[in-house]
Amino acid sequence: MIITLDINGKTERAECAPGEMLTEVLRRLGHVEVKKGCDTGNCGACTVLLDGKPILSCSFLAVRAEGHAITTIQGVEHEAKEFAKFLTAEGADQCGFCAPGFALTVLAMKKELTDPSEADIRHYLAGNLCRCTGYEGQIRAIKKYLEAENA
Amino acid sequence: MREYVGTPTQETRELEATRKFNIVAHNVSKVDGEGLVLGRPAYTDDLAPRDALHVKLIRSPHAFARIISIDAAEALKLPGVACVLTWKDCPRIPITRAGQGNPEPSPHDRFILDEYVRYVGDEVAVVAAEDEATAEKAASLVKVEYEVFEPVLDFEKALDNPTVIHPEPEIHEMFPIGFEPKRNIAAAYHMEIGDVEKELADCPVTVEHTVYTQSQQHVALEPHTAFSYLDLQGRLNIVTSTQNPWHTRRLLGLALQMPLSRIRIVKPRIGGGFGGKQHVHVEPYVAMVTLRTGKPAKLVLNRREVFESTFTRHEMRVSIRLGADRDGTLRAIDMKLLSNTGAYGEHALTVFMVGGSKTLPLYNKVKAVRFGGHVVYTNKVSAGAYRGYGAIQGLTGLEAAIDELAHKLGMDPVELRRKNMLHEGETSEVFRIMGEGTEGVAMTIDSCKLEECIRRGKELIGWEPDRLAWEVAPGRIRAKGMAIAMQGSGIPLIDMGSARLELQDGGFFKLHVGATDLGTGSDTILAQIAAEELGVDMKDIIIHSSDTDHTPFDVGAYASSTTYVSGSAVLKAARSMKQKLIEAVARKFGVAPEQVIYERKRFRTADGAKSLSLEEFSFDTLYHDGEHMQTIAVTESFSGEKSPPPYLAAFVEIELDRETGKVDVINYVAVADVGTPINTSLAKIQIEGGLLQGIGMALYEDVRYSEKGHMLSHSMMTYPIPSREDVGRITVELVDSYEPSGPFGAKSAGEIGIDTPPAAISNAIRNATGVRLTKLPFTPERVLMAIKEAEKHI
Amino acid sequence: MEIQEYVRPKTLDEAYQLIVQKRGTPLGGTAWLRTYAKNLPLAIDLAGLGLEYIREAHDSIEIGAMTTYRELETSMLLESRFGPLFKKCLGHIVGVQLRNIATVGGTVAGRYGFSDLNTTLCALGAKVVLVPGKVIDLAEFIMGGVSGPFLIEKIIIPAYAKASYQQMRISATDFPILNVAAAWTGTEWRIAVGARPAASHMCPKAMALLGHSASLSDETISRAAQTAADELQCGSDIRASAEYRKAILPALVRRALMEVRA
Repeated sequence: MIITLDINGKTERAECAPGEMLTEVLRRLGHVEVKKGCDTGNCGACTVLLDGKPILSCSFLAVRAEGHAITTIQGVEHEAKEFAKFLTAEGADQCGFCAPGFALTVLAMKKELTDPSEADIRHYLAGNLCRCTGYEGQIRAIKKYLEAENA
Repeated sequence: MREYVGTPTQETRELEATRKFNIVAHNVSKVDGEGLVLGRPAYTDDLAPRDALHVKLIRSPHAFARIISIDAAEALKLPGVACVLTWKDCPRIPITRAGQGNPEPSPHDRFILDEYVRYVGDEVAVVAAEDEATAEKAASLVKVEYEVFEPVLDFEKALDNPTVIHPEPEIHEMFPIGFEPKRNIAAAYHMEIGDVEKELADCPVTVEHTVYTQSQQHVALEPHTAFSYLDLQGRLNIVTSTQNPWHTRRLLGLALQMPLSRIRIVKPRIGGGFGGKQHVHVEPYVAMVTLRTGKPAKLVLNRREVFESTFTRHEMRVSIRLGADRDGTLRAIDMKLLSNTGAYGEHALTVFMVGGSKTLPLYNKVKAVRFGGHVVYTNKVSAGAYRGYGAIQGLTGLEAAIDELAHKLGMDPVELRRKNMLHEGETSEVFRIMGEGTEGVAMTIDSCKLEECIRRGKELIGWEPDRLAWEVAPGRIRAKGMAIAMQGSGIPLIDMGSARLELQDGGFFKLHVGATDLGTGSDTILAQIAAEELGVDMKDIIIHSSDTDHTPFDVGAYASSTTYVSGSAVLKAARSMKQKLIEAVARKFGVAPEQVIYERKRFRTADGAKSLSLEEFSFDTLYHDGEHMQTIAVTESFSGEKSPPPYLAAFVEIELDRETGKVDVINYVAVADVGTPINTSLAKIQIEGGLLQGIGMALYEDVRYSEKGHMLSHSMMTYPIPSREDVGRITVELVDSYEPSGPFGAKSAGEIGIDTPPAAISNAIRNATGVRLTKLPFTPERVLMAIKEAEKHI
Repeated sequence: MEIQEYVRPKTLDEAYQLIVQKRGTPLGGTAWLRTYAKNLPLAIDLAGLGLEYIREAHDSIEIGAMTTYRELETSMLLESRFGPLFKKCLGHIVGVQLRNIATVGGTVAGRYGFSDLNTTLCALGAKVVLVPGKVIDLAEFIMGGVSGPFLIEKIIIPAYAKASYQQMRISATDFPILNVAAAWTGTEWRIAVGARPAASHMCPKAMALLGHSASLSDETISRAAQTAADELQCGSDIRASAEYRKAILPALVRRALMEVRA
């Protein structure tokens, strides 16, 4: 079937099977910033925003995404670059495989939570797994980023 | 005695004395950071050609079987199927998949495809089709008949088991490693200094401890991926997520009977390794398909395949005996390991030996030390390289035994270690005797700040030896434990790395290295080293790495070698480059080279009469200097004569719930001596990341099998890695240290982080409950059952 | 996974007809779709049918079947009535990305053993409303299911209760080894235990011990906790043995009861 998706504000048409998940279709359309890490919905590397809310694109039928606004990290490039500065300053951008999904979730968190504590931050981002950094550097980066944004 | 890399200049000596670095020992953002965060195409799957054939592997459902027949007739009828390849399509050449230098210390005991399958998930046949769905469908249509054998699943029953896992006549070791496949032994080793039994018999205090450390999975977020194609010259090009491009090329050439000149391996950005990609995994299969069809081919392992069919950490039984005087002087250590290498022998001997070679020297003043044991085959997934590489297993036993000794003596565990541990200026005979697979290299410790690491660690955790456990609420105990660790920095005289620098018009440098960036940021720190030595900015170094066609040789990223070995090569190249530039400019100035001063990108004579900028010279040498025009380029190599260990002192505070056995890490303090951290934030992150992986091994991660040898923990649902809510806080500090033999004083940081958590947490649990656990991971169930068992005996 | 035919009905009734007559599979949150289904002949999408709500009705609260976990845990209404109960029982589940997808209806229909939400809803005395209007006690539904195709419209819980959720996991976002929820509804005590690894089960003997008063003595609580452990079956799986589950059951029940009583 042919579906029409709103991706980062642009309309894209895709050929897909009804049982295909959104990750497959997005990557096939060239959105390689959406990653496949685990096949079971655990790692968060496939995170995209659906109408502004972070979801697992690997567990969401592509056909169901019709009529919704899909945002990948490329769709919020300006804010992502801002956040990236803080992440790279901590050295917390290691292998980078978790980074687009993680950065997108951070940006969603910034909109959803006001003045989150460290516990709130860890909790909101618990679904973004990282094997490289041990998470501490990422937390440092997020705190500094939120402070700078609120200043 | 100080040793230098290359020829140090006066400037360099001053720098070392003052350590006023401009770029090194600073926090410099990774050169590729922004691109990765924005998800720009970088990883193998992002770069694969759209029309590549999709490769799917058919895998064994049995733990041990012989393939009687493979019928691909139905599969081949499917439109879009390009080929189905079996063991009959491969040359029968035994290889190892271990990414190690030649000759490999691992037995050549496997074939790309074999008539036998030796674990559930072992490769049976290769299917290639135009798209993934067709490949999967075709794979399901291939009919395989097996003759099933009884597998050997218990590694404590493998030795001399009537079932022989490797009866093939063609397999062999590359040099003596104790390889006795008829006894299911992949490797064996034994060494003794002094007389351990006599010493132990003479000691007033002895301690015995045995602990079982489990297999662990790497779980790098990017699954193993490769694609291959034939270029215009008909050469096989493979782009792959690998830690060791040159070893892969060499082993592939051997397996496929191809000259190495006809193979190219490229490593793009990879999504993590931790040792899990320090082997040949998917490359042979895409290669076979491309060679057969002439078309590009791609293989992306799904997560289940990564769990079931790549490699895990070696499961071990670690048995320690210690003997000491009543004043705490340690006199003898006996370490026996039984290691499970799974179905094939990759990294069997070397991981095993590191269990002793990178732990025993910590207590270098003993009169007698003995190390030995076997590495056995079982019908489980093969074990291979994994960060820590034996040291974490050995340390888990040793540091627990040391604490037991402290308890027996009524001594502060910290003081017991301080009394016996290694210091700067000392050596250990173990360095000379035990290398990685062969004899080692004698080494004096020129940098060791363990004292300072311990002092600072005590401060950060608040270590009070009389208050190591206390109740915070009924049944909730807070407790502290500690452990020390060492690792290495490359394998001396075996690991070699090279670097090439070339001056470009515009006054910047191309830096080409073979060194493999796994995401660790080695591209960045190697550029930092070059920039520091050349007196230029980071933007003046353009680095490219890990392409066997275009970059010079490097063994690859493992054994914590990149900073020390590859970094030293870069430093040597930068020094040679400065020398060559000065000579060329001196000729232009018409003076002797000694009269030319180079600083801050400018050459001048001492009296200032002649002056030329680096940028001006770069144009002159390429466009203006007539018969003297030349490309200014240097290539230098380095192989260390020693492997100076980084050190770490760890202090953990846990909270333990006596009613449920749940153990939570409240604060994990680690103070490390890595020499000069070339990049302060990247070094810290390496240790923080390593620590959490070690905590995962201590508390959460377990590889579980069914009775028939099927892996039950084959997804991230059934094998959870630590999330950011699992550990309260990780606190890492680096102490001031300088290793004279390392580039700008650096050692390594890649592995040292992972080694301590199982031992430190075991010690904390012991302090909390009086119970010593003997099996990893320390799940709530194991802790509770051990507490209940101990209560019965009171 | 493969879906042969995908339909988006416009009304609840249309969806129900497709499920009953054409044996279509209703799509809830689809979080478990890939794991539990390989091939669906007919998939019926329940999105867009107006089943996402949390609203007051008489002396109860109605939760539409397509309400997501995230909506539950961020609901001001639920927080005002039950405190942080829903945050606690849902907060360990993978991550917000999953909780923005997983639905109440999908979880209840699946009757999954590991479900933290089902245990909590059972303790609250929830009821399931099946199209077209059949009301079943949730605890009974979890234990026995229903025969034939069904479609969940909504869950009904009391307007107010004092409840506590306790759990044991090996790591923070892993599946539970055991979960427990206890509630004082105003008239009765309720205790539910799930992830045994089997699905949520009430503890009638333990509940009978607790009587009909809000205040309980420590001794009563301990006895009830032990009774719950004695009356329930526990099994072994990859995460824990039956013995361990039995060993910690009393502690979790006791903690739940003490938290409610406080």
